Amino acid sequence: MSKRVLVCLVFFCVLALSAAGCSAPPQGYSGVVSSDDMLYLGATDGKVRAVDPTARGEGLPFPSSEGEWSFAITMPSKSFLSCGSSTTPATIYSTPVVVDERVCVGLYDGKVMMLASSARIDDLNFPHRKSGEWVYPEGDDVIGAVVGSPAVVGKMVYVCSSDGVVYALDVDSGDEEWRSELSVEKLWTSPVVSEGALYVSTFDGHIYALSIDDGRLLPWSFEAEVGFASSPLLYGDTILAGSFDNGLYAVRIGDDEPLWKFEGGNWFWALPVVRDDVVYAACLDGKVYALDAGSGRAKWDEPFDAGSPIVASPVTVDDSLVIAAESGDVYVIDMQTGVGTRIENPEGDEKPSIDGTTILASLCTQDGIVYIRAQNNSLYPVDVAGGERKARISLD
Amino acid sequence: MVNLWNLVILRPMLNGLLALASILPEEVEFGLAIIILTLVVRVASTPLVMRQLKSTKAMQEMQPKVQELQKKYGKNKQKLQQEMMKVYKEAGVNPIGCMWPMLVQFPIWIALYQSIMRALATTPENLLGLAQHLYSSERIAQAIPVNSHFLWLDLGQPDRTLILAILVGGTMWVQQKMTTAPSADPRQQSTSSTMLLMMPLMFGMFTMMFPSGLPLFWLVSNLIGIATQYFVTGGWGYLKPPAVSSSARTAPRKRH
Repeated sequence: MSKRVLVCLVFFCVLALSAAGCSAPPQGYSGVVSSDDMLYLGATDGKVRAVDPTARGEGLPFPSSEGEWSFAITMPSKSFLSCGSSTTPATIYSTPVVVDERVCVGLYDGKVMMLASSARIDDLNFPHRKSGEWVYPEGDDVIGAVVGSPAVVGKMVYVCSSDGVVYALDVDSGDEEWRSELSVEKLWTSPVVSEGALYVSTFDGHIYALSIDDGRLLPWSFEAEVGFASSPLLYGDTILAGSFDNGLYAVRIGDDEPLWKFEGGNWFWALPVVRDDVVYAACLDGKVYALDAGSGRAKWDEPFDAGSPIVASPVTVDDSLVIAAESGDVYVIDMQTGVGTRIENPEGDEKPSIDGTTILASLCTQDGIVYIRAQNNSLYPVDVAGGERKARISLD
Repeated sequence: MVNLWNLVILRPMLNGLLALASILPEEVEFGLAIIILTLVVRVASTPLVMRQLKSTKAMQEMQPKVQELQKKYGKNKQKLQQEMMKVYKEAGVNPIGCMWPMLVQFPIWIALYQSIMRALATTPENLLGLAQHLYSSERIAQAIPVNSHFLWLDLGQPDRTLILAILVGGTMWVQQKMTTAPSADPRQQSTSSTMLLMMPLMFGMFTMMFPSGLPLFWLVSNLIGIATQYFVTGGWGYLKPPAVSSSARTAPRKRH
């Protein structure tokens, strides 16, 4: 009989482990943002970094004296097994936003932080208020997980959190100016602002318009039959957003019916790029579609097939669209024809452009170089004109 | 192999779970879907369970005989083994017959486990992973993301109240106790007793670590297991053993 119990024990252990595999802890995939020759990003080890790509290219020790800095954000451990006052590195999904000499970032752990480069270079205690640093909420309080990037407009920071609330914070003090409860779960998207209104797409299938003055819901909202998977993208008076039924919606603000809806083979998770009335949308089915912004009709004969889901939002460099597939392959696509060229791995043709890791974070471009943050906590510069991948920049 | 597993077992179950959630009342959709799918899987595997239970019951009925043999040949392991095999053969019982139906059910339960965890999609990475396993159907799309609130639980988070941990541990102990026959061999008895306590404790601990959608499945599964056991074997088994087996159980202890 004990054999039977032993078999059961092994069985349940296998089940528990397999279940654990399906719910791996969040890693974060913060994108990179460029400002004044510097790159800012949230790394998978919970550090926000300011990186000077020139200094990295020269192989100088990090941080060099060129304004580089690194700030480790830790949070109290939530693990059941932890005891005492243990801490864990913060998880960062949101792409930082640069505000003058400061960097605003939202944490999955339920905080919004404003970091000042001057204070971080000098390694002063955080938050150094004289430098304009703040954290919201203060102390041990937290809000819901922040996944989307903050939107900074004028004197306000707007951020969506998983508790279904949109927060408006003072950009200088971090004081809460207003909050708007949308009664939705998992508000993981980034808000966008246009002409006095803040637009938010939700997993329950709404695009809400909020007044940026006080957060009240404006009369117009759009309701789809399924939830929106992606953040909204504003193009003129049209909002583009991907949905859970594999659709890419184009919704004109004020309309109840979509202008058009294009169906892909999976979700449109990445933010599309719009150029010259053409929407370039990367999809989790591994394809990139070029669509007429007015009608949603395909512009290329065939969509470009990257062969692996595309999670990272693409960027444009001159007349090229640069995409990075989850598998690590990077392509430069001619925006007119849809013909793409794969960036070769310096270590060999048969390997993906970036091998041994996955690409989830949105891309960033600076002076013709595209910077791709991989999940192995590294940054990969790609010279688009030269069609080559440069040496890896380790963020460890 | 992984692709085959996903295609044949995981995806149908995951999509079935989400389709079920989409037709249930929104306030309890996913919790109820877990309960219903656990029931469906249990019903579908009834022939295997019945076979397993009958085999277990036959083994239980032979316990007095086995204990007699243990008393008689306790020191001669080889002889004891031979005699026991003879008794099993005469009764037409395969001592490991109760195991293979359980083994056949393993993949189904693993798939159900994985389906629950994937459907909960507690992190952005999980949600992205879920996208690769979904059928193209509006009904399934409508279920995403699942409403993780059920009773007092957030199915995507561990239950910190201890209530679920106690329920999972308690029901697991009862279910095991019903089927764990006492042994005349003190060492074996000690192992069984340890296992009997260890499993519920371990799962009570898992309950406080895993998103509570998973312990909810364990709880429902345990309750169905107890009910099936009760009605198929006709009682509480070794949880409340009849007087005869009780005296048989205490007899070897008197020796020490």
